[in-house]
Amino acid sequence: MTKALQITDLVKRYPTGTEALREVSLEIEEGEFFGLLGPNGAGKSTLIHCTTGLAQPTSGAISVFGHDAVAHYGEARLAVGLAPQELNIDHFLTLEETLDFHGGYFGMPRKERRERIDELLDAFSLTAKKDDRTRTLSGGMKRRLILARALMHRPRLLILDEPTAGVDVELRLELWHYVQRINAEGTTILLTTHYLEEADQLCDKIAFINGGQIVATGTSQELSARYGVSSLEDAYLELVGRKELSRALVGADGVAS
Amino acid sequence: MSAAQIRFFSLLRREVSRFMKIKRQTLGAPLLETFLYIAVFGAALGSRIKTLHGFDYVVFVVPGLIMMAWATNAFANNSSSILQQKFQGAIQDQLSSPASPTELLLAFSFGGFLRGMTVAAITFVAASLLVDLPVAHFLVLIPALFLVGFFFAQLGVLVGVRAEQFDDVSFAQTFVLQPLIFLGGVFYSASLLPEPFQTITHFNPVYYMIGLVRYGFLGYSEANVALSLTFLTVATGALFALNHRLFSKGYKLRA
Repeated sequence: MTKALQITDLVKRYPTGTEALREVSLEIEEGEFFGLLGPNGAGKSTLIHCTTGLAQPTSGAISVFGHDAVAHYGEARLAVGLAPQELNIDHFLTLEETLDFHGGYFGMPRKERRERIDELLDAFSLTAKKDDRTRTLSGGMKRRLILARALMHRPRLLILDEPTAGVDVELRLELWHYVQRINAEGTTILLTTHYLEEADQLCDKIAFINGGQIVATGTSQELSARYGVSSLEDAYLELVGRKELSRALVGADGVAS
Repeated sequence: MSAAQIRFFSLLRREVSRFMKIKRQTLGAPLLETFLYIAVFGAALGSRIKTLHGFDYVVFVVPGLIMMAWATNAFANNSSSILQQKFQGAIQDQLSSPASPTELLLAFSFGGFLRGMTVAAITFVAASLLVDLPVAHFLVLIPALFLVGFFFAQLGVLVGVRAEQFDDVSFAQTFVLQPLIFLGGVFYSASLLPEPFQTITHFNPVYYMIGLVRYGFLGYSEANVALSLTFLTVATGALFALNHRLFSKGYKLRA
């Protein structure tokens, strides 16, 4: 079966000499809910940017549903929806225009765009705001809009780069329910997050990335077992070399036992 | 429409919608500026200068104003639009779409081109109501204006892509574009200048552009028309090729 995302020996070296990705290889099966975890600066966003054309790989190969993301970027990008970490929306546009232009960039005819916009505005409780300029939205609403925009062209692979950073509990749960539903309907999902319980609960498979390299891949249980610990969080702390922070070692009084 | 056509028109629609949303700034202000020029140079100065090369001074100046409107608006639109979108990060939406470098470059280019054309067209209509403006060589005028518009649209794209802060754009506009346009002979005939300024003017590309547009309207030119058209075509083509190379390489657009 064709992989949703297949990354082989990906290297990204910036002109400054910084090597953000060092021969990264990764496979995501179609329909999988995949988590990519790692500390800040580990290379998560660079990997995502290389996949979506926002960064140019130095070497290696990226294939999205069998389409080379560099040589055949058109087909590859059609299959990907990106909800980036930054709230990168155009302040001049209304919510409806933001979705309409995005759909247009992906070649959707007007009628289809209209229907999809109504559907997404409704799903993310944004219908009442559709004619407002995006700069008037709250942070949470901007986050919803970014997710709606990523889903606009019905991507087969949805990439969520820290989608719940800084959002309130209700929205976080709302987003979880929504992405779980579309995953069940067949959309492959690549999620990066710093909330380990989020990855634990949502992801079928998780990869740890650190220093530009994938250091471990498996289910939450497999990763815990690999590091000889009892939770994904402890496995993560082992990864970043901060096992002294483990909740298992810290007593109820907050003092390490 | 094919998917590629929908994509290109969406990219272009986005650029047009941007300047249409801030009409006061993008269309209103340049129009007022043009009228102020006509008022000052036509009514005030014109009454003293009388004629230049057989034309009323204001009639001599208006073709240059129309060209200047197209050039400065094409430039300002594209440089600002690209830098603003880079600043907000919003340009990532286009960059991560299936759009090719050529489609992206053309859509950004035509945004400013169309804004310049709109201001130039309104200026032409308004000026025609105020002065009797002839159109001597339509077949030179239209290609000349289109080339000028496209040249400055490309220049705007180039500056917008290279710029890292708003100061970079205003620097290019104030210290490069304005002097070139003003010293290119919009408000006077270069033949009136003393040496060495007359010779120096011949190294200013805008001098040939104004010459062409003035020839199109008035039938009068100081420079060789065929040579100027050839030069302008080559310069515009070269600038487009340079921008195309930058877009293909993702220079300052893709990390």
